[in-house]
Parts: sequence; C-alpha cells; structure tokens
Amino acid sequence: MTTNQKITDTPINFAEEIIANVKNTKDDGVLKCVQCGLCTSTCPAARHSEYNPREIIERVLEGDETIIAEDYLWNCFYCYTCHSVCPVGNSVCEVNQILKQFAINQGIGWDKLYEYLGFADSYFDAAIGAIPEIFFDDIAKDVPGWEEIRFDKLDENRDKLNLYPPLMPPEDVIDEVSLILTITGFKERMENIRKSQEAEVEK
Amino acid sequence: MTKNLKIGVFLCECGGNISDTVDLDKVRQALDVEVIEQFENLCSLNGRKIIRDAIIDHHLDRIVIGACSPISHEKTFQDYVKPLNPYLMDMANIREQCSWVHDDKEKATKKAITLINASIEKVKQSDEVNPIYCQTPDEVAVIGGGIAGMNAALSLARQGTKVTIVEQSPSLGGHMAKIGKVFSPVKIAEECGMCLLNPILNDLVWNENITVWTNSKVINADRRAGTYNLIVEKSPRFVDPDKCIACGKCTEVCEVEVPDDWNEGLSLRKAIYRPFGQSYPEAYVIDPDACNKCGNCKRQCMMNAITLKQKPENVPLQAGSLIIATGHQLIDPNKRPDYSYKRHPDIITQAELGRITGVNGPTKGELLKANGKVPKRVVMIQCVGSRDEKPDGHKHCSKICCSVASKNANIIKHKYPDTDVVICYTDVRTPGMFEKYYKHTQANEVRFLRGRPGEVAVKGDNLIVRVENTIKGEFEEIEADMVVLSTAMEPSEGTKEIAKILNLGTTEDSFIKESHPKIKPVTTDVQGVFVCGTAQDPKDITDSIMQATSAASKVAEYNYGGVKIEPFIADIDHEKCQLCGDCLAKCKFKALSIVDDELFLDPMSCDGCGKCLTVCQHGAININGNIDEKIFATIDGVLSKKEDDERMILVFLDTIGYTAADNIGVNRLKYPESIHIIKVHSVNRVRPSHIKHALDNGADGIFIGEFPGDLMYDEVEQKIERVKAQIAKVNENPNRLAFSKVYIPYFEGLARKLNDFDRQIENLNEIEGV
Amino acid sequence: MKNIPDKNLLLFRSCLVSVEYPGIESSTKYVFEKLGIDYGISEKQTCCTGLGHYSDVFDQVSTTAIGARNFKVAQNLGRPNLVMMCATCYAINKKSVKLLNNKDDLREEINELFEENGLDHLKYEKNDLTPTENIFHFVDILYGKKDEIKKHVKYDLSQYKIATHHGCHYCKVHYEDTIAGVRDPNIIDELIEACGCKTIGWYDHKRASCGTGFRQRYSNPDLSFTATADKMKSLKDENVEILVHLCPNCHIQFDRYQPLISQREGREFKAIHLNISQFIAIAMGADWESVVGVQAHTSKIDSVITELKEVES
Repeated sequence: MTTNQKITDTPINFAEEIIANVKNTKDDGVLKCVQCGLCTSTCPAARHSEYNPREIIERVLEGDETIIAEDYLWNCFYCYTCHSVCPVGNSVCEVNQILKQFAINQGIGWDKLYEYLGFADSYFDAAIGAIPEIFFDDIAKDVPGWEEIRFDKLDENRDKLNLYPPLMPPEDVIDEVSLILTITGFKERMENIRKSQEAEVEK
Repeated sequence: MTKNLKIGVFLCECGGNISDTVDLDKVRQALDVEVIEQFENLCSLNGRKIIRDAIIDHHLDRIVIGACSPISHEKTFQDYVKPLNPYLMDMANIREQCSWVHDDKEKATKKAITLINASIEKVKQSDEVNPIYCQTPDEVAVIGGGIAGMNAALSLARQGTKVTIVEQSPSLGGHMAKIGKVFSPVKIAEECGMCLLNPILNDLVWNENITVWTNSKVINADRRAGTYNLIVEKSPRFVDPDKCIACGKCTEVCEVEVPDDWNEGLSLRKAIYRPFGQSYPEAYVIDPDACNKCGNCKRQCMMNAITLKQKPENVPLQAGSLIIATGHQLIDPNKRPDYSYKRHPDIITQAELGRITGVNGPTKGELLKANGKVPKRVVMIQCVGSRDEKPDGHKHCSKICCSVASKNANIIKHKYPDTDVVICYTDVRTPGMFEKYYKHTQANEVRFLRGRPGEVAVKGDNLIVRVENTIKGEFEEIEADMVVLSTAMEPSEGTKEIAKILNLGTTEDSFIKESHPKIKPVTTDVQGVFVCGTAQDPKDITDSIMQATSAASKVAEYNYGGVKIEPFIADIDHEKCQLCGDCLAKCKFKALSIVDDELFLDPMSCDGCGKCLTVCQHGAININGNIDEKIFATIDGVLSKKEDDERMILVFLDTIGYTAADNIGVNRLKYPESIHIIKVHSVNRVRPSHIKHALDNGADGIFIGEFPGDLMYDEVEQKIERVKAQIAKVNENPNRLAFSKVYIPYFEGLARKLNDFDRQIENLNEIEGV
Repeated sequence: MKNIPDKNLLLFRSCLVSVEYPGIESSTKYVFEKLGIDYGISEKQTCCTGLGHYSDVFDQVSTTAIGARNFKVAQNLGRPNLVMMCATCYAINKKSVKLLNNKDDLREEINELFEENGLDHLKYEKNDLTPTENIFHFVDILYGKKDEIKKHVKYDLSQYKIATHHGCHYCKVHYEDTIAGVRDPNIIDELIEACGCKTIGWYDHKRASCGTGFRQRYSNPDLSFTATADKMKSLKDENVEILVHLCPNCHIQFDRYQPLISQREGREFKAIHLNISQFIAIAMGADWESVVGVQAHTSKIDSVITELKEVES
C-alpha cells in the first residue's frame, strides 16, 4: 500500500497543537520521540490489550489526526509509567489525555463519557467526587458486603472514628464550586454531552 | 604632551580603488599634520621607503595610514613604520569601509577625512608597547595512566619532553588492560587487547623521559608564569618496587581475601596482590583497606621489600602544561533497578562479560552462569543509562556500546554457536568501518531486536525480558538465562575531581569540556591544560589515542614555539590590590588567580576584555595601551567635524564584526555615509561612559555588534540593556543604542541592519526635531 | 532531598478516604498527633476533581480553577502546606500549582474568570505556592519523621510477610520529587522499617499500576482486573500476608476486588490491605475500631493479624 505525502501536507502541525495544549508539561518532548518502545515495554494496557503508546506517538508525528477516534486510546490506565521512564522526556500519558480532549471537543467519545457524568453531578450537589450511581449495581455484585460498608454503616463508622468536619461541605462552599464549574464552561459541556447521549437513547 | 606630537599621514590610492571615489587632494587639504604623503600602492616596497624616509627625516612620532582594512595590511604597516614602535601606527580604513561602500564622491571624501581624523586623534593616545613572549617550561604532567595518558606521555617523551604520569591506581593500563578482546573494524575480528597494550607499556617503561607515579593523585594546583605547581598525594604501596621481584610468595601466605576489582569483583584476590599479570610497576602492592597487618607477607619476603608502616606523602610537581587523561567509569546498573542487576547473579554488565570471556579472567574464558552451566540465551540490553534524560541517567550516547555488544556477542557465538544471543537496541550506531563489523555480527547469527526493554524479571530458573518489538509492534516476554547490560560511560571520579581542582569547564554530564568542539577539540578553557580520552567524552580506544597524540602536539607547540601575545591585556597594580577576589569570579577567561597572597594574571589567558577593571573597587587593574582613552579619542575624532545637518552613527565591532563589515565592502554592498565603524579589541571595552560621551557630543546613534560565540556575549548584551535603561531614565530615547549579533559570513545581514538602523535614527531625528 | 515541613499543614481530605476507608483519615490524624505534627483540616476544602479528571470528564481549566480555590483555602488558614492522603489528590494539586506558576495564559484566564464573576478573593498570584515546598503526600511528612516513628512503636508486626504497593500518582507523575525511588519505589518500605519490620522489598511488577486505571475498572473490567492479577499472583508467589498502600483507590482495587479476582484467576488471594497510616497506627497501639477503622475493610484484618505482640524494650 502506498501513502502519498503531498508537498502541501504539514504533518508536524498536529504535534505542535499537542505541545501548545494546556495539559502538556513536557515542552517539545513529543517531537523528540525515537520510537524506542520503552513506553510500550512498561505499559500495563499494552501488556494486556491492543493499546500501544509508541504507536500513538508514531501516528501523531505522521500528522494522523484520525487517531483521536481510535477506541483503544480509552484503554490507558493513566498510570504514568511511560511518563516516568521516557528517555527523551516525552509523556504518552499526557499526550493521550490531550488527544481525548481534542476528541471530546469534536464530539467524539461522548458515549464513553456519559456513564461518568456522575462525577460532574456530585460536584454540583456536594462539591465532592463520588463514584457515579450508574456503577453501583456492578460494584455491589463484584464486591461482597460493599453496600453495607459504603451506605448502611458509613455514618456509624465515621462517628465511631470521631471524624470532623462532616462529609459534606457547607452550602456556601457548594455554591462557590458550582459557580466556578459554570464559568469555566464545564457545566454547559456536561449538559451538552448528557443531552446528546440521551437523545441517542431516545432514538 | 600630545600637542607637540609630530604626525605623519600616508594615503594610498590603491591603484584607483580608493582615489577613484575619494578625492585625495581634498583630503590632503583638510588635514593639518606634520607630513602628508600619497602613493599609488602604499603596501609595496616603495611605499615602505616613503614611510620610513619621512619618519626619519621629519622625526615623526605617530603614523596614520589611510588605506585598506587593517585586517589586510596592519602587519605590513606595523613593519613599515620601523624604527617606530608598531603600536604607534593606526590604519584608517578608507577602502573597505569607505570607497567600496559609497558612490557619492563628495560624501565619501568627507567620510574619509573623518575616518583619518579619528585615527589621528587615536594615535595621539597611543603608547609604545611591546608584545609579550611566553615560554612554558618543557615539563609536562599527564594525569591518568590509561591508554590515552600513556600515548600522550609517550609522544611527548619521544620529542624530548620530560613527562610525569600521575596514576591513581597501583598500575598503568586503565580500562584497556581489563577488556580482554578489542574489536577491529578492518580485520573484522576481535584482537587481544593486552597484546596491543603491552608494547606501548614497554616503550613507556623504557623511555627515560617518563616518570611514572602510581598510587598518586593531584590534590592541589596553582599556576604562576606559565608553570603549574601541583601537589600530588602519593599513597603508600607498602611494597618497594625497586626491591620487589614479583615472585608472588607474599600472596601465598596472605590470609585475607577480597573481591578482585580488576575482575569486576567476579573473583577474589588477596590483600597483597599484583593487579594483573602485566601490571606496571612490576611489583606487588598492599590494599590498605583489606590488610589486617598480620605480617605474614613481610616475614615471607626474601627481598625485604615490604614495609607495613607507611603514610601518604604530599609531593610537589612542577609542569608547564597538563594533559588530563583521567578517563571514565561505567554507570552503576542499580540506577536502573528495573533491570534487576542486584537481584540475580546472571544479570551482568558488558564489562563483567568482558572479564568472563577473557582468557585471563575469573573463569579462564568460559562463559558460565552462576550454576556452572553455559547459557542457552543471552539477551543484551543497550543504552542502560545512556540516551536517557531521566534522573540518574545520561543524555549522551555512550558511542561504543553498540560495537562492544557486537564484539561480546561474536565472542560468545564463536565459542558457543548454540547459544542464542539477542541484542535489544534503539538504534545501532556503528559509523564508518564499524558498519562492516555490524554486518559480520549479523552473519554470525546474533539477533538484533529493535526495542528498549522495560524490565527484567526473575521467574523461577529463568529471566524474563519485557520489551516491545517495535518492528512488529508487539509486546514480548523473552525468556533468557543470562542478561547483559550495556551500561553508560560517565566521567570517572578522578575526572570530576581534577576538573574541580583546576577549575575546568565541564559538560552537563560532568565530562571535561573542550574549548570548542570543532576547532579546539583538545584544549580546555584553562590555558595550558589539555584533555584527551574518555575524560572528555565517550570514545573508543582509537579515538582516545588520536586525541592523546593531538594533545601532545598542542603541548609541543607551546613548549617549542613559545607564544607571542598582543600586549593589550590586563595589568595589575599590586600596591593597590587588596586581594578581595572580586575579579576572579568575573573573568570568563579564567586568567586571574591568587598565588602566594598575590593576584596573578596569566598573560596567555587574558583577552583584554576589561571586565575585571569594572569590578575592581580599588582601581588596581588597568589594561595596557590606553584603550579607554583611545576609544574616547576616536569618538571625538569622528564627531569633531560633524556638521549641523549631518547624521553620525558610531558602530563598534571587534575583529569578527569588523571582518564582516569589510566583507560588505569587498562585495560592494552599500550603507549610508553616516555609518562610522570603530574597531575595538573587545566589544566589552566599550564602556557606558563611552556611549554617554558619544551621545552627548553629537552621535545620533550607536550600534554595537558581537559574535554570539564570544565568551563575553551575554555580558555585553546585559550591559547594553542596562545602558539603555539608564538612557531611558534621563528621558533620552534608548532606541539610539542598538545591539546585534554579527557573523563573518552574514555580511549581507549586517549591511541590512546598518541601513535599517540609519533609517531608524533618521526617523527619530525627525520626530524629536533634532 | 526536598525540605519536608512539620508545621502549618492542611490535611487535605479525600473523597475516597471519606466514604470508603475513613479509617485512613483517623489513622493519619492519630499518627500525626503522636509525632507532634502541626496540622489542620478544613470544611471549606473540596475534592481535587481527580476521579472525574482522569475519567476525562474534567478539563484542565476546571480542575485547576478548583485547585486555585483550595489553595486559597489553605493560605487563608495560614496552612499553605497541603498534605494529601490520596496519590491522585497529590498529582492533581501539584500539577495545578505547576501550571498556575508556569503557564501565564492559563493563570490569567482563570483569574479573569474569577474577577468577572465576583470571585476576586480566589485569584492566584504566580508562585503563591511552590510545588516542591507546599505540596506533599503524607508519606513525605512521615518520612521526615522516620526516627520519631521508631520511638512510638508499641507492637511488633515483624512476624508477618509484608509487601508494599506504591501508588502511581505519588511515584510517577512528579517523579523528580518522589522520595526513595520511582523505578524501585521504597518509601513505604522504609516507613515500615521504621516500625521495626522488614518488607519483602522487590517483587515482580512492584512498580506497576494497581490496575484501577480509573475508567478501566468500570468500563474495561477484564483489562483492569487482569492487570491487578499480575500483581496479586506475584505477591501470592512470595506468600505476602499484608500489602501496604498509600492511596485509597489502589486500596479499593486490592481489598474490595480481591475475592472477585481470586474467582477469576482460580487462585485464592488472602492478603489483607492496610494504608501505611493504618499500619503505623496499629504498630503504635491505636484502637482498631475507633482509630484504624478496620470495619470498613473487605479483607478482614484479623484474618492475618491474629495477635499483637508488644515490642521488647
């Protein structure tokens, strides 16, 4: 198979976009990749799935923007092992997160986010992160006795441990956090994702 | 005093090159000096006669040559003004920087007059000075007795120089003595390292110009008048090498056993031992850390060579030049614990494998695992600690590991063809002829797997290497029963110590840095100190020897040629100097030191930049040759005849910038007549007071150019920023001062910048109504 | 080695600690008090966003804005040294400080948002906090007090086979600041040593992830639990009885899911799982129910630690 590289193609622009992203802490590390494969050699997802961090950088440097729609991107554990050993100072872990944000901004992967919107809701309700309710049944099935520990006996346990302050922050704190997450555009983004996904379900 | 000076001006027509554009008749009329002559080719021998006769007949004190660039003919005219002191002559460059860059005859003529006038004012400030001749003593200390140090010493000794080798360990030989076989790209074979080393060792031992100090290290150094005074700490050997006949009876009775460092700790040796069979001096030595002073050896020695009570002594050593050949060490493999080096005896380094496969090694050359069996599969891991920017790693490529791994793989394959050898690599770097050796290795059925392993796990009897095969794009777990780590080369402790003692510049990995990687590959930033071998960067034996002999010939240049130094360098008034030391840290050329409670300037190191002057609170430092006054005088000379509607821009350049400016003329590009270039010895010599003086006295703009490779570049750039801020403070426009990078080949850029700057100043003048 | 403070600390509450293993919080407080560490805790502090952040729900600006608010809470209390109980809180907050200090555009963007919406009091000035001077995990603080820990040890746990699991988001994200090893992490091992016990040290996959992988646990359970099984098998091979953690999320993965993974692998994994603060609290003689909070654990602590033997003095 032949791929044609046109004189007008600018493959490196894709890497530049990644470098400019707010999440990137590795300067131009992505450009220095020599494809040594140490990231893949240490990656738990590569060990057990088709995920390949080296190949992600290979495709990024080829300017292959279709990568943002790859399903396997979502296999990254965010364990940062690649980030902690990369000999040239790149971080595939960060690049992966950036690629996913690109995807989300283009409406890709919203189905994957939908189940996790509970993490957003809990901030508006209680200014804390809480495992989304949607997973409770699975957890209860997989973890014997979890519901009892997590719900029935939590207050009693916390009392016994004499923990103060209480779990929930005061109202004014929740209001302030809600405001922050509204002005950053976070709330709107989450609502758009929810609406679009619920519309999909309707269909 | 300057008023009464008799000045002669000599104008060169340059066969029309000057006189076609500059009206020399008008120039002659405009100048008021004792003598003014004109000739068609002043640089010819006839020109010499005209100049010399005029000097003698008219008792001239100072000479100005209005001709071409001093870059072309300064040396010529310095010779032609004899019997006058050469530094009492100055050249006004009315060709490259006037007739060749301007077309308007009237304006060019006026500018020529200004340039000559500036030179006249400048020479009035000149004093008689003489070049300084330096001769260093013909004695050299070579620090480090490995293959590089030995070759440097031998080369110098054969040229008649007295050399002392200072070696920290008990024997000469360094790493090369240990590595067993060496690879030969030409023969495509492995050769016996010791057989190559031994003849060099013998030559060295028998050369009477060479003294070898083993068990010795430099602990202190200072330099005075071209001579280094070193203090060397000689640790006791406890065995007198003159008496010892190396019979080895002492070792037989010694009861202490410790790991043998010559065998990478893979075997044991006694507390009294000989490092290796061919070690030099040919004598035993006691390891004081291991010895329990039982006295068995002493009682056994028939030659009475052993003394158990000896203390280290500090011995002075004088040398004109130093060659640093303190070498490298290999990175501790435990810095990459993912490879489990300390967790399994069959995970070893290439250095250890070299000893194991050596016929004089711990197993007499048998490749055996800890359980005594021959390995079925050996996996080699490249770049352990090399090409690795993470903490405790090195960013550099260690350069030799690809060839070393190939060599050891070939040795294994040769002896054990059934053992599978896999080399996990990132890139195979075998440049030049070594590529053939790489092919040879592949033909020997050594397998190359492209991928950097993540970890080595110990699972039951086997080792598991986890690696992505990047060609296949697959994660693999490779079972092996021996793993060999190609560990990075890093500077030895001795290299780091000597760099500190001598204040040598180092790289980010602490190797000793050469003055310039291209054109000064063996000199260091300290005059008279040269570097060779792996103390400077990772390299193989061939390159180490080449650099060693190159360092030796650099030393020979000093020793036999002496060095002539331009006189415009710093001069210390010891009466005023309070030894505060402020100047020491400021000198980028490392020319200053305090020796025996006196500030000492090394004339060979000083660049005359004048930085030390500006930090000396006691006014104890001056630069020879009235440089400051000459700059003021030149400024005045340029500005004295400024007319009301005339724009005057002063451009200060050192030799590099000035050569670039000459190139503008040589290529007949143009810039406005307002541009007046003033050549300075170092751009740093242009002081804020010069800039202020010029602006106060009619200069419309000042342009300063510096070559970014100059050691003082950053200093100058910062200084200009400060001066600009000061200018802004007094409500003047800081844009009248410009700073720019200059490069010799980039003369077109300089021409454009000068044109742009002139326009900028023109605009400023319009806006400010000047 | 970084400068480890023992004063003006704000103990940063963690969402997972609060609802899953509240005993980690009470144990940390207990150990801090024994060691004379000056800490405070605030009801105004909110979650770091970590769980949502690493599920890709939160964008960096929102996470960092929440961070900026919490940093202000700490500063206003005069407790600018944030000490986390969760590895992810540590990674998230440290990155936010780094970004706020180094990325002027981001800082200005967030400050402008605050300003335009009446939240001026939350504005972050460059270098308000320093990542190495103000952001810690509690293991850092304990490491600074290793010698002091020794003095308070009451019970000898050295008869048990102990191994450690170091949270990735403590060790690997800001690896330049990690104490006692990244590739061979040992900070928990050294703290256990301070309690007079020896760990098994290295085991295969020691530095590997717990397998949670944030969304992997819920959306890709096969991948997640296979990765966890790598470690569990290796620990089982070494007959490990107690695995000591520094992160509540790893703790959940190992403790809560151990029965499930045993089932999946057809091999019985029976280790118990303690946070290092709980381990030290037990060694110091804390009450299991009212301090250590063992009742919230799935793998019952008394299935391994059957008796407590006092240290011989």
